[in-house]
Amino acid sequence: MSPANGNYKAVEQRIRELARTALEEGRVDYFIGWTAGYNESEVIPGFVRSADKVDDLVWNPLAAYNLTTFLKRKMPDPPQAKIGLAVKGCDSRTLVSLLQEELVDRERLYVVGVPCEGIVNRRAISKMFANEVVKIEVEGDTITVTNQDGETKQLAREEYLLDHCRSCKYPNPRYFDDLAGEAVTEPEDQTPMWREIEEFEALPEKEKDRLMAEAFEKCIRCYACINACPVCYCWDNCVCRSRQPKLVGQKVNAQENLMFQMVHMFHVAGRCPSCGNCDRACPVEIPLYLLHRKMNKELKEMLDFEPGIDLEQKPVFQTFDVNDPFGQH
Amino acid sequence: MAQATEKATGTTASWDGEGRVKVVGILCNWCSYAGADGAGTARLRQPFDFRIVRVPCTGRIDPLHILKAFEKGADGVLVSGCHPGDCHYAEGNYYARRKLELLERMLPQLGFEPERFKYTWVSASEAQRWQQVVTEFIKGVEKLGPREGRAL
Repeated sequence: MSPANGNYKAVEQRIRELARTALEEGRVDYFIGWTAGYNESEVIPGFVRSADKVDDLVWNPLAAYNLTTFLKRKMPDPPQAKIGLAVKGCDSRTLVSLLQEELVDRERLYVVGVPCEGIVNRRAISKMFANEVVKIEVEGDTITVTNQDGETKQLAREEYLLDHCRSCKYPNPRYFDDLAGEAVTEPEDQTPMWREIEEFEALPEKEKDRLMAEAFEKCIRCYACINACPVCYCWDNCVCRSRQPKLVGQKVNAQENLMFQMVHMFHVAGRCPSCGNCDRACPVEIPLYLLHRKMNKELKEMLDFEPGIDLEQKPVFQTFDVNDPFGQH
Repeated sequence: MAQATEKATGTTASWDGEGRVKVVGILCNWCSYAGADGAGTARLRQPFDFRIVRVPCTGRIDPLHILKAFEKGADGVLVSGCHPGDCHYAEGNYYARRKLELLERMLPQLGFEPERFKYTWVSASEAQRWQQVVTEFIKGVEKLGPREGRAL
């Protein structure tokens, strides 16, 4: 990932301008962007419905939330609404996945692309303090964190980026109508990085089994991961809550929980670019990336496929190639 | 059960496995099931600790069915269908191939030994091949033994 230019304010201004113009011209009924949370350590999703409210929108490296999630309900509210949306690089890939399957209507969308230089791992930072963090500020390569008692700490930005931001190949949006700010330099080395996955893979089977059981024991089945997932969209028809067929029971134990997570993983296979929204949504911090990033690694090796890159591409499990390089005999 | 089979068939050729593992076979109606049936008709020596689920086409199989079998206590799952290009429904097994390959690659991540799952193609006329495939697969699973203390 390239070093931060630090022109967050300029990009923020541009997002506001684009949103204002779109709202004033009536091209969108509302704009989904990021707004300030209840203190300066957090950025939350925000819906802007009138041009005089666009100054609520913010952009800084705390804007982790993937806003595409709000589109997956097949865009209701009201059913014919035209929606404006801000997307980062990884968010845009989930949007491309939805567009590939014609799950959202391109005509009713106005997409503002935001070149992203990496999002800060707020969870890791807040764990360093005994009490509440009230302010996180990123300037250049340093993060300044302030807690409730006014105690401050300076951290290196590079070390507190989200895992998948550190190995991000696509910091610029893959699909947008207008780009807010200049595109950031994409990393020259385009080979994907799977360090955490490779470490886990190297463990013996028994150990992997134990770690999986340990991780999924904690799951409370709150469904936050599938609610936050932008590409998991069956809603009321989710097979996880169905009795017939009964793939996943209502019991909450490691086995059922892992089964539930496998349902999620297999159902988003070929759509999920590992944006990390489920990881961040998980209240008990289950390392979900061990599943979905592993899945993407395998898809890359199997079919040289990366989800959400090309709008014209057919979803990988809705098509086939007679010459697929596996299972020939 | 081994002895009963011997009696019924009047041959001494019975399976020499230990019969302590549960193996589920998911076979397509048109090729592999017919192939397995053919192996039975020809009285080829076959493992008996094997439970067959017949499906219309391998394209019908959701990888989650296989995981469910494991969750319910299977020690191994073998999926078999028509050879690519020979599908009764023309292309069902091509779709299946992608899904099953992904599953095969994901299973070690969940702590499964690779020998516990296999997908393969056996046609209706390949009774010999069926015998060989199923024997090898079950021997592999028996070597590992029943699954214990598992995450899934």
